[in-house]
Amino acid sequence: MATIEEKVLEQGAGRRSLEQMFEERDRLTRESGHYYGITELSLRDADPLKFERFYSRLHTCVLAAREVARYVAASPGGREMGESLWALTTAEGDSLALSLGFFSHTAAFPVAVRYMATEKYDDNPGIDDADVFCTDDGLTGGAPHPGDTYCYVPIVVQGEIIAWAVGLNHIMEAGAPVAGSWPGFCVDTFMDGFVFPPMKTGTKLKQATWWDNLWKRRTRAGTMNILDDKMRLAGCAMVHKGVHEIVHEFGLPYFKRAVREVIEESRRMVMDNIKALMIPGTYTGVAFRVAKYGDMQKIWAQADRDNLIHIRQELSVDGKGRMAADLEGSSRWGQHAFNGYPGGADCSLYLAMTNTFSHNTKVTAGINLTVTSHYPKGCIYNPDNDFASFANIWAQSMAMNSVGFYSINRALFSRGYLEEAFATDGDWDGVQGAGELADGTPYGFTNFEYVGGVASGAFCYRDGEPVTWAEWTQLCNIGNAEEFEYLIPTMFYLGRKTLPGFCGHGKFRGGLGQTSVHWIVDPGRHLGMSRGGAGTAMTTFTATGMSGGYPAPNCFHVTARGTNLQELIDNGGHTPRDAMEVIEYAADGRLKVDKLEVWKYDPPELQMKHNDLWSNATGAAGGWGDPIERPASLALQDLNEGSMKPAFVAALYGVIATQNAAGEWELDAPATAARRAAIRLARKDAKPAAQWWQEERERVVRREFITPIADMYRGSASFPKFDREFRGFWQLPADFQI
Amino acid sequence: MAAVDKDLIRQLVDGTISRDNARQLIRMARKDHERFWNYLEVLQARVAWRDRILLRLNDHLYIVAKTGGGRVVKCDCGHEFGDYRTNWKTAALINVRRTHDEFAQVYSPAPACPEPEWQEIREFYCPDCQAQLAVEVVPPGYPLVHEMLPDLDRFYREFMGRPLPDESPDWYVDRTQDTTRAWHAAAR
Repeated sequence: MATIEEKVLEQGAGRRSLEQMFEERDRLTRESGHYYGITELSLRDADPLKFERFYSRLHTCVLAAREVARYVAASPGGREMGESLWALTTAEGDSLALSLGFFSHTAAFPVAVRYMATEKYDDNPGIDDADVFCTDDGLTGGAPHPGDTYCYVPIVVQGEIIAWAVGLNHIMEAGAPVAGSWPGFCVDTFMDGFVFPPMKTGTKLKQATWWDNLWKRRTRAGTMNILDDKMRLAGCAMVHKGVHEIVHEFGLPYFKRAVREVIEESRRMVMDNIKALMIPGTYTGVAFRVAKYGDMQKIWAQADRDNLIHIRQELSVDGKGRMAADLEGSSRWGQHAFNGYPGGADCSLYLAMTNTFSHNTKVTAGINLTVTSHYPKGCIYNPDNDFASFANIWAQSMAMNSVGFYSINRALFSRGYLEEAFATDGDWDGVQGAGELADGTPYGFTNFEYVGGVASGAFCYRDGEPVTWAEWTQLCNIGNAEEFEYLIPTMFYLGRKTLPGFCGHGKFRGGLGQTSVHWIVDPGRHLGMSRGGAGTAMTTFTATGMSGGYPAPNCFHVTARGTNLQELIDNGGHTPRDAMEVIEYAADGRLKVDKLEVWKYDPPELQMKHNDLWSNATGAAGGWGDPIERPASLALQDLNEGSMKPAFVAALYGVIATQNAAGEWELDAPATAARRAAIRLARKDAKPAAQWWQEERERVVRREFITPIADMYRGSASFPKFDREFRGFWQLPADFQI
Repeated sequence: MAAVDKDLIRQLVDGTISRDNARQLIRMARKDHERFWNYLEVLQARVAWRDRILLRLNDHLYIVAKTGGGRVVKCDCGHEFGDYRTNWKTAALINVRRTHDEFAQVYSPAPACPEPEWQEIREFYCPDCQAQLAVEVVPPGYPLVHEMLPDLDRFYREFMGRPLPDESPDWYVDRTQDTTRAWHAAAR
């Protein structure tokens, strides 16, 4: 008589095309409510030790791939920081095991593999064992942006695809008109740079020569990008070899059944976690991001306008432990760089979800089966035009992820799991550009430092901390300044530090944001610099703070062109160390500057010369709670550490302090009590909501908005759900048009 | 998983918990299911009123069951904001900051301030104790954000195993626009 294990192993035999596999996966999952129709975890239950040993072997393959491959060949971003991932997936691209790194990119895998299935790649160009496929396309490959490049190696046994080894990382330069790895000011995808749908670029674990040549010809950092390409493939080769050994050891039938049980097991665990941590209900989160293109797109007149991007997410939790994120009401896609496609949008959405609900189980596609997303056609996450640019969805989708993360943390707070409840922000910034050295050598670059880490937000019981958090990777690390200095030979650091006062304030404040000052030295014939980054200071990172705390402020830049810096250095004087000191030095004459500019929106690519300065301030995090409830001891600590200015602390926090003879700040308790009472008294002058509503409604009826806001409302209200919300909240007649 | 000690819960609520203890709680592979009930006990002991706390919404606000029936949002000071299905912000005091100078009182340094005309800052206060309960930074004209509408019946019955005595399908319905409809009618 056959054992349970033998019986279940008899299932699933036979060779199928990739498309047939998807059809079967989708049908069985839909009909049964379980992954691939797996209602019982027969292999696991029959021999749990064998099952865990099997998974451990899979997991080891991808962990080892990362730890080895990045030392085989890699750019600094790939080697030093968390900007990479290796994975093993099922034949359909469903994740089985992940290395450390940016895990939520698993959402892209089924998009790319499904595209290859639908386009019948098994027939043409053919999918054979150890082939190499690459993509960085948002629409067909699920990539968030062209800088994220994926390598897929099929693992074929007995003529059937049984798995894919996947390696991906964020490359140094994407080959677009605006140089860097987040092309800016794109009007359509033809300005996104070197974008390619899934394509067969090599066989037998070796890339074709033409593939290397494409990197050299179509990007400005060919050497770095080829190194990264080799890194991705080296890791995939390790996974490919390891999985063949595992199949040999455990047998093909076991492998095929067990991988489905792995995903079904983790799907159940994720649902269990959601029930254990969340409150069923509906959560709404909102954020805004400016795309200021007005007067900057004279060649492409259709894009010559300012945009306010609206991010609106309604997260619902049902009684079974499933979650659904509905993005209806977010902006329509636009002729700017900040659109994305569903795969790339999911790569952001699942950051919060994976962090919170896959932490104690195997990190697999189980999360993707339990948390679903809805991006209505035409919105910024699902353009109804296949040529929409997707150059930098991360510029706004980190906020989209954060509002979902905020929703989760509201639930954790309500359930009493306060230790987990904090403001989750991620205002990253990367300096990028291209140039031509004095000897005529062209180059392109990205400085990833503030893509590697930002401040953590305030918890409900303590302050956030600087440079300790990156919601897109577990590997928060801003890298070594020296690494970027040799990589980008024309930029040197004058300063790299936290910026006083730069955070979302509250009873507990967010971690201070960070700032750098880059000194341009001998740029040669030409140097153009711009930035890729999340928010800009015209809006806050999210629109809603936590429990009376203020949302995090966004990034700003300061550029000083035409300076006497060399003179300052020659005379032994101090040089500015952060963005505000650049402004202050210029204002008081310590630094002579021909052109000082403060950018609260994305600067265009700027031509930089010898002794010019480029400074950024970014990565600030949000606060929690009412500022006048801040423990005075923390406010004093801020003053004594130079993290806050006394006048600001007195005005916002109501904490009055005086300096003693030693220069230390001491609390003036009576004055603090009086100041806080006065703040509370002044709050009584605020308007009752009903009065506010009547007055505000009049402004709405008169359409007293600047053009980008009116455009934003029109676009969002073209989706019925937000139209109902806007019209219903303001009680506007049916014929009212914004 | 053993229930977390109520003293630790009090320290979390007070913001006095040590970093080590907080880290230990974060590292729990599975959270203690009893936490919710112990949390409610800790919270209930801190308020001067007797209405039963059903859920804590933020530092100061709770959804409570009224002894005479109904579920309302209530501040720890005792102020009631009305039925919890209506966004409590419609019963708050609202202060709106619109100018750069007003922004600079709550954001720093100056270049980090949001941009006037593009954004306004709304601060929501309790009408009785003036605690700042929420902040929104949104474009002018944006509807108030209803941050959280819990499905309490489902939570208590299906997640916690202790159904509420006054279950009804009507509890999980957003009533905010009933309020704005009434305001509009009153103004005409």
